[in-house]
Formats: sequence, C-alpha cells, structure tokens
Amino acid sequence: QEFRFGSCRAKGVDLQELWEAFWAVKDAVQAQDNITSARLLRREVLQDVSDAESCHLIQALLKFYLNTVFKHYYKRTVEFRTLKSFSTLANNFIAIKSQLRPSQENEMFPVTERARGRFLLFQRAFRRLDREAAVTKAFGEVDILLTWMERFYRL
Amino acid sequence: GAVAILPAPQNLSVHSTNMKHLLIWSPVIIPGETVYYSVEYQGEYESLYTSHVWIPSSWCSLMEEPECDVTDDITATVPYNLRVRATLGSQSSAWSTLTQPFNRNSTILTPPGMELTKDGFHLVIELEDLGPQFEFLVAYWKREAGAKEHVKTVSSGGIPLHLVTMEPGAAYCVKAQTFVKAIGRHSAFSQAECVEVQGEVLPL
Amino acid sequence: PCVSGGLPKPTNVTFLSINMKNILQWNPPEGLQGIEVTYTVQYFIYGQKKWLNKSECSNISRTYCDLSAETSDYEHQYYAKVKAIWEANCSKWAETGRFYPFLETQIGPPEVALTTEEKSISIVLTAPEKWKRNPEDSSVSMQQIYSNLKYNVSICNTKSNRMWSQCVTNHTLVLTWLEPNTLYCVHVASFVPGPPRPARPSEKQCVRTLKDQSSEFKVK
Repeated sequence: QEFRFGSCRAKGVDLQELWEAFWAVKDAVQAQDNITSARLLRREVLQDVSDAESCHLIQALLKFYLNTVFKHYYKRTVEFRTLKSFSTLANNFIAIKSQLRPSQENEMFPVTERARGRFLLFQRAFRRLDREAAVTKAFGEVDILLTWMERFYRL
Repeated sequence: GAVAILPAPQNLSVHSTNMKHLLIWSPVIIPGETVYYSVEYQGEYESLYTSHVWIPSSWCSLMEEPECDVTDDITATVPYNLRVRATLGSQSSAWSTLTQPFNRNSTILTPPGMELTKDGFHLVIELEDLGPQFEFLVAYWKREAGAKEHVKTVSSGGIPLHLVTMEPGAAYCVKAQTFVKAIGRHSAFSQAECVEVQGEVLPL
Repeated sequence: PCVSGGLPKPTNVTFLSINMKNILQWNPPEGLQGIEVTYTVQYFIYGQKKWLNKSECSNISRTYCDLSAETSDYEHQYYAKVKAIWEANCSKWAETGRFYPFLETQIGPPEVALTTEEKSISIVLTAPEKWKRNPEDSSVSMQQIYSNLKYNVSICNTKSNRMWSQCVTNHTLVLTWLEPNTLYCVHVASFVPGPPRPARPSEKQCVRTLKDQSSEFKVK
C-alpha cells in the first residue's frame, strides 16, 4: 500500500488511521465552522487533477496544512481528543510530504503552473477569511482532502 | 525548590513487538511511599513545528506501574519523543526523556499464530488477531513433488477464512507471515502446518 | 410569518442515508404531546449562499423528509434544518451537522442468488443500486461509485456448525466439494475502506445441497 501521486511515491501510511483520527473529531470541528457559505477545497481546486499535477498539488497543500493550519490550530487550547487526532494527521502528513519528490524539469512548467493555480484558488479563499475561522474551516475540510488523496492510494 | 528533591525516572526504553509499544523505566523508590508516573509524547511534527507542545499519553497519567503502553499515541511512522516524570503528593520530578526518539518502523514482527481446520474438503484458516494494522500473506501448496505454491492475502485475523477447496486424498501445507501497511514490513513466515484430506467415500 | 421561538425545537435532526437515498429525520419537540404540530424543511449546499426550500416538505406532519434529489451530487456537502409550527407559533430551526453523502452513506448489502448442485453452491452477487429519482431512470451500481467495494461472504455449514468467511471483489463465487444433502446458510455484507460506516449485512439465506446421486442409485 502506498500513495502514487504521478511519479511521486509515499509509503508507510495507513490511510485508515487518518480516517479514524479525523472522524473522531469531525462533528466537533465542523460545528465550529459557522461560515458555511465558503468552501476552501472547492471543485475547481481538486477536480480532474492530472497525475502529473497531483504531486505538485499535494505537496503544496500538505506544506500549507503543516505550516499554517496545524501550526495555528495548536496555539488554541484545544480539547484533548482533538489534539490527539490533530497530532496523528500532522505527523502522517509529514511522513507523506517528506517522501514526495516532484519533478522540477523545465518541460513540466505548464503542469506545475496548473497545479500552482489550483493551490492559489485554495489559498486565496483561505486568506479571504479571518485567520481563526480559516484555520477551523481548513481543518474541517480534511475529509474532502482525504477523499481526494484516497484516489491515489494504491493497494 | 521542593520539586527537584524527587528524582526523575531513569533508564527509559521502548519494547515494541507487533506494533504494540511499551515504554518502561526504572521505578523511583521512596520507602513507605507510592510514587506515580505520567507520560507525554511529541511526534516529529510537534518537535519541528511546535516544540513546546507535549501531548499527555492516552493511558498513563498518574499511574503506579513503571511502564506505559504508548501504542495508541504512536500513530504515524515518524520519530517520537517520549518523556516521563514521577509525582509524589504535590511534588513532581523533572521530566526524563527517551535518549533516542522512537519510530514504530523498528517494531519486532513475529510470525503469526494460525489454526487450520477442515470442513469436509474445505481448508479453513484462522489467523491470530493482531489488530487492524495487520494483513497476512498465506502461502499454501499440495504436498507432492513439484507442487506449485499459491499465495493469498488475508486482510484480518480473528475470523475463520476459507483458504482452499482440497482434492480428496491429498495433503496440503500452509504457512503465513504478517504485513504491516503502516511501516511496509513483513514478518518471517510461520512454521508450515500440513493437513490430510480423507479420500472420498466411494459407494459400496 | 410565525412567532419564532414560541415552540421548542425538533430534536435529533439527522440524515439516514443508505445507497445515497438520503432521508432527513427528526424527533418531535418535547412537551407538545397532543398538539397537531407541522414541520417545514430547508437545505443548504456547503460553500453556496442560500438556504433552499423543499416544497414537498412544507407544513408536513410527518417527521421525515426525502432529500435524496436535493443531495444527489454526492461530492458536495450539505446541511438541512427543520422547524416546528403550530398555529401562529414556530420553533427556531434545528440543524444537522455537515453531511457528506460520499463518505457517510451506508452501503447496502448486495443481492444474493444461490443455486445448488450435489456438492456445490454458486453464489451470484449483484451490487446494491444507487438511489434513483425515477424507477425508469437507468441504474447506477454502488460499485461504479466505490471502485474499492468488497463483499464479506459468510458461510455456515449447519451440520458441522462450522462458519467461515471469504472476502471477494468479484460477483460470483462457487463453493465446491460441499457435503451433499446439507443445509448451508449464507449472508453477505458490503464493505468500503475509509471512514467508519455502519454495516448492513444481507438477510441470511439457507439452501440445501442435493442428495448424493450415487447413494440414490445404490438404494434402488
């Protein structure tokens, strides 16, 4: 079992562990998101992503979640159960991201640009919101992210 | 102040077998007193991005035994820091931290226990229930010269599973190994076990 | 318009979802026994702007509302809400959590067809069907939505009282070399890896293998 994002591979992750970690806190976290009229991981971000784009996109998304979403979320005094789920997701995201080697070759430029464009859609939507609300919303949308990642999980 | 009087636990180490991780340490002995221990952990994320954050272990806050099952805390295949401190009444010792971070990919994997049964010509296998992270590779072959080895992946232990429909009068042998997705490693194969199938009862 | 908050809210507002048939259900407000309360439902697509009415569920007296059509794009996420109305009074809205049909719908059991021979049983499974708006609409199998759908087939030999299982992905399974003239019982559950979903195994079906023809011959 491994993730295959185009030419990128990531082993040593049991996707079921991530689902269970998020599912344990899904209702509580999503209930804190009152801005239901905004969705960060909209269709335009994740739909019809080519294999070639997928490694660049997942790397950018995981980096953002690690550097911004999780980091900010830790500052809050979060409930113990949430902190544990949080740690599971963050440490598995690190395990995946550390194995990704997206190709940097020149002819890949159009692909990386398309992936970057998708990521910027997500990032702009995030920045339109107040930081606290945006972090909560991004964490509440981990089910959308995992659903998309599961398509690249090969048994 | 008073807190430093209580010595910190020493000789921390982790014993990990089949993805069960046990943190142990030398007990702090205070004659006539009961000393309690608390354990905290930090994954690679916390140590890199939020190094001040330590998370209380799921099962080990103020407990008496000088050991802690940290299996439910180690939920990613990355290095984890673990630390313990002793508490006696209102006094707490300094934290004592595992010298080397622990990564679950170092766990010892043992061959799985297995039970073979027959239901007529059907060979049924029940593998040891080692938890949801374990899959099994089961190899079976007919005990005869040049027999081909067949392999089946079994996704869970603890339930009887149909392995093969046997030919009358033949003998079949089976061995199994575990596979853990989360660390991408196999155990060694178990000893092979063989079963004989009665010949078909021919009409008189 | 009614006086909002004049009534207690409905409780336990949840989606019951099986094969993408998504029913909103709730309990009546407490303390209103004997009062003819009616309900009005609205739903919302996460990321969009407005709450939308469900006309067939305005001023209804039943405590459920079929929102399958409104929530049929299973890659979207939804909210729904309901309020109680009695004369000029109505309750505040009672809302569901965020509902994600793709991850939360229960996968129903497959259809199980058994045929027997003397020493074998053939099991043919038909994947459960996704809810459809009209009976004449073309069918979509849940397998088409969940490519990693598997079946857990449990078989019990009622003579030896032995039970064993098999996890299969294809739709036919032939059990050979069984005992003749023996009752075997089978039930099957669908399974999709991912978030935890309640399982709904099929009804247990039992079938008897045929008598051993050779012993018949001997008796004659």
